[in-house]
Amino acid sequence: MRQLTPDRRGVGRRLAALLAGLVAAAATSAAGFDLTQLTTQLARVKSGEATFTEKRRVEMLDRTLESSGRLVFRAPDTFIRETLKPRREKLEVTGNVLTMSLGERSRTLQLDSAPEAAVIVEAVRGTLTGNRESLERLFDANVSGSAERWSLDLVPRDLRLRGQVASVRVSGRDATVREVQVLLADGDRSTMTIEPLPGAAP
Amino acid sequence: MSDAGATALGRRHGGAIAVAIWLLALAIAFVIALRTRYVADLSAFLPSAPTPEQAILLEQLKSGSASRLILVGIEGGDAATRNAASQRLGTRLRAMPHFASVDNGDTAPWQQAGRFVLAHRYALSPAVDAARFQVEGLRAAIDETLSLLGTPAGALIKPILLRDPTGETVRIAEALTPAQAPKVEDGVWVSRSAPRAVLVLTTRADGADLDGQQQALNAVRNAFGEQAQRPGANVAAEAALRLELSGAGSFGVAARERIKSEVERLAVWGGAIVVVLLWLAFASLRALAVALLPVATGVLAGIAAVSLGFGQVHGMTLGFGTTLIGEAVDYAIYYLIQARASAGAATPGSDTSHAGRWLRESWPTVRLGLVTSLIGFAALVFAGFPGLAQLGVFSIAGLLAAATTTRFVFPLIAPDGAPGAGLRQQLGRLMRRAAAALPRLRWGVVALAAAATVVLLVLPSPWRGQLSDLSPIDAVDLERDAALRADVGAPDAGTLVALSAADEAGALAAAEAVGARLDTLVKEGVLQGYASPARFLPSPATQRARLAALPDAATLSARLAEATEGGPLPATRLGAFVDEVQAARKDPPFDRRALEGTPLATAVDALLLRGDASRPWRALLNLQAAPGRTVEAERVRAAIAGIPGAQLVSIKPELDALYARYLRQAEWQAALGAAAVVALLALTLRNARRLVGVLLPIAAATVVVLAGLAASGAALGILHLVGLLLTVAIGSNYALFFDHLRRAPEVDEDTLASLLLANLTTVISFALLASSPIPVLRAVGAAVAPGALLCLVFSASFLGRPEPVGGRGKIAA
Repeated sequence: MRQLTPDRRGVGRRLAALLAGLVAAAATSAAGFDLTQLTTQLARVKSGEATFTEKRRVEMLDRTLESSGRLVFRAPDTFIRETLKPRREKLEVTGNVLTMSLGERSRTLQLDSAPEAAVIVEAVRGTLTGNRESLERLFDANVSGSAERWSLDLVPRDLRLRGQVASVRVSGRDATVREVQVLLADGDRSTMTIEPLPGAAP
Repeated sequence: MSDAGATALGRRHGGAIAVAIWLLALAIAFVIALRTRYVADLSAFLPSAPTPEQAILLEQLKSGSASRLILVGIEGGDAATRNAASQRLGTRLRAMPHFASVDNGDTAPWQQAGRFVLAHRYALSPAVDAARFQVEGLRAAIDETLSLLGTPAGALIKPILLRDPTGETVRIAEALTPAQAPKVEDGVWVSRSAPRAVLVLTTRADGADLDGQQQALNAVRNAFGEQAQRPGANVAAEAALRLELSGAGSFGVAARERIKSEVERLAVWGGAIVVVLLWLAFASLRALAVALLPVATGVLAGIAAVSLGFGQVHGMTLGFGTTLIGEAVDYAIYYLIQARASAGAATPGSDTSHAGRWLRESWPTVRLGLVTSLIGFAALVFAGFPGLAQLGVFSIAGLLAAATTTRFVFPLIAPDGAPGAGLRQQLGRLMRRAAAALPRLRWGVVALAAAATVVLLVLPSPWRGQLSDLSPIDAVDLERDAALRADVGAPDAGTLVALSAADEAGALAAAEAVGARLDTLVKEGVLQGYASPARFLPSPATQRARLAALPDAATLSARLAEATEGGPLPATRLGAFVDEVQAARKDPPFDRRALEGTPLATAVDALLLRGDASRPWRALLNLQAAPGRTVEAERVRAAIAGIPGAQLVSIKPELDALYARYLRQAEWQAALGAAAVVALLALTLRNARRLVGVLLPIAAATVVVLAGLAASGAALGILHLVGLLLTVAIGSNYALFFDHLRRAPEVDEDTLASLLLANLTTVISFALLASSPIPVLRAVGAAVAPGALLCLVFSASFLGRPEPVGGRGKIAA
């Protein structure tokens, strides 16, 4: 492959960005469905419960890691992820406080002191609660699809964070989130499939 | 030669000896003053500690790890510029010798600590025990580690996964991470409440080493200034950045500057005002020079006495010393004017010489005033604050020296008082008119005193001073400090468990024992957490126990094979793990020295205090209350009961209690001092009517001053109390003089002028103190300046003669 000079690379990157912007704009206008509409639609749901199954592909490991459990969210800012299998584990976020419990052990940290954890939490919590302001502050957000069947691509704005979390893709139907895909910078990825519990739609 | 001539000669001879002794004492005091160490630290504002526990506390406040913190804020400009500046400043400061640690959220410096932790993970990890290395324990530990993969934390774990599959490093990191961490932006710490990047520095210099602190502060300022000038800097963006510094060291340095400039201000103004007053009184250079002799002698004697007694002289003592100028010059004024006033009826060299007459007639009154003043200042010596004790010793030595100089040296060098009249006659006439008019206001004074008493009864008690009122630190600075502290979650002086032991190992073992008890409280939600040196450096016994729990290679391999059966990470890939566990089993326990050069050393040193032959090793465990709660002292005390050498220290309540104790003590001392003054007056006057006459104006002045202070809304404390006692002690001088004059057949204007001048010098020198920004000086000045003036006015009202006194007269025997 031919090496690009720094200058050309710069031009190339700018061109790519421009193209991506054009495509995104085209997609948005074509679908007529944007972030504002999506978050408004999602914000109408004030709380919900769901089950999840998560598959993680880690490059170092021989096979995929699987786990499953329960998700709970309550507007404005509470989000709980309780893993039941293979082992019980709980992650609870309220406001800026993140509590992780494992058996007897539990530790608390402030979300804004660990931006890489905040990225994942905000991607999910921000989407579930329809918090457009928070999503736009942290991510370059791109909506595709329609109100019935949409995808939200989130790329961290902060370059430093992008070195850890490359992107998060949240997809869903109507006002429910059905899947969260996280792509890490080192190539590992996880896919969480969400099944709303009857009577409560996250 | 007649008998009288021989006596006179003998007296003259004695005078020469007195002058010789005086000159010798002056020379000695001068040499001592030259060799004295002058300081201006904050320790003078802390009480001395009556108990060993409080001694630990004060030691910590003076030179503990908290005293070595510098909090840095970078403000102004935009976030990206601030954060980049923090990054560069951190890197630059880490390369400097002044700092033991530089934290700004940048994780790069922790890589070295990370390597140490990885190498010693089996001794450090709180999770290591025999069960963890059974099949079940291994499976659970590996599962837990794997659950972190595929998350952002995984990137840190993957490089060491095959060496540390049980995740000991993660467990150690968890234990070392405080629950309260600053917000992170662009990889550096930023404030949650204001647009500001924050850094926390620990100086190598001790908190009490103000020169070292100043160098460290200058290093930060220079580094900050330099980085804006580096090549490629965005000058426009970076010009908007501002540096804010706070912390105990910066307070100390700022206070020292303030005290220094304040001492200069007080000395210059105090000196200038006294010179002007003396010029008004004498208009003679010679008189001026002579009048300043007791002052200079007093100041030198005061410095020498404090230097000998305390090993150093505090700047505040010198500032307070300016009041000595005002008081010491009184003796000179009395002598130089009154000795002259008796001129005419005297035969030089005889008992009826001017000097001899003054010694006989006025000196007893002056001496009595001196003793009452000494009683007042003696209360300072025992006030329990090293700074105040210095003021007391300084004033006592200074007044004694000044009075002695006047008594023994003046009759020889100025046997006829001083030449020159200045405006004395006018002052004297003014005073006479006032003295004639004031007694008519007697009932007005009584009414005023009664009103003041009512005010005091109606208003809530103004005695609500706190220890912090003594601190010379600006409220604005304290606010900034609190804001920066909140940003970085730096613990304020809070609650801690202190332990003592004979050696390092003992202190760490005790810290572990206390930690185990505190863990229960954390689980119950009483505490959010605590910091312990044993987290960074477990005791040798604990390290040995952990390493002894590690199985040998064959056993571990067999268990590992079973534990990973069917899992995503087969045992075959974990050879490095088995080897490193094997190697760790042979490791000897490490101690504090092994941490040298890593950030862990700074962290341990803050909590583990080296002992020596004279004091034990100490471990400190800082407690963090559960959110929205305060530490429940009773629960903690109950939890740590039975652990030898462990005690709970709550810094704020402990200091408040200490201060309250001193305030009570000071109340007693003030009462005793006042009683001593009254007893002395009673003994001397030997007449109930006269005693009441002398005491009434003083009591009225004290009540009026106290009511004034209370009405002004000031929070009164120890120093106001001391000031009131000084008012009584100094004010009684004027009452005594009026009592003395009242019994004299005629009062000349010169004597009245000397009284007014002496009062003015005192009032002005204390008024200067009252204008000082240093609270200690301001409090004393605010009580004494109006008090002394009112004592003179009220004394004139009560003891003055209402009928006009005609012409210029003399004090006759």
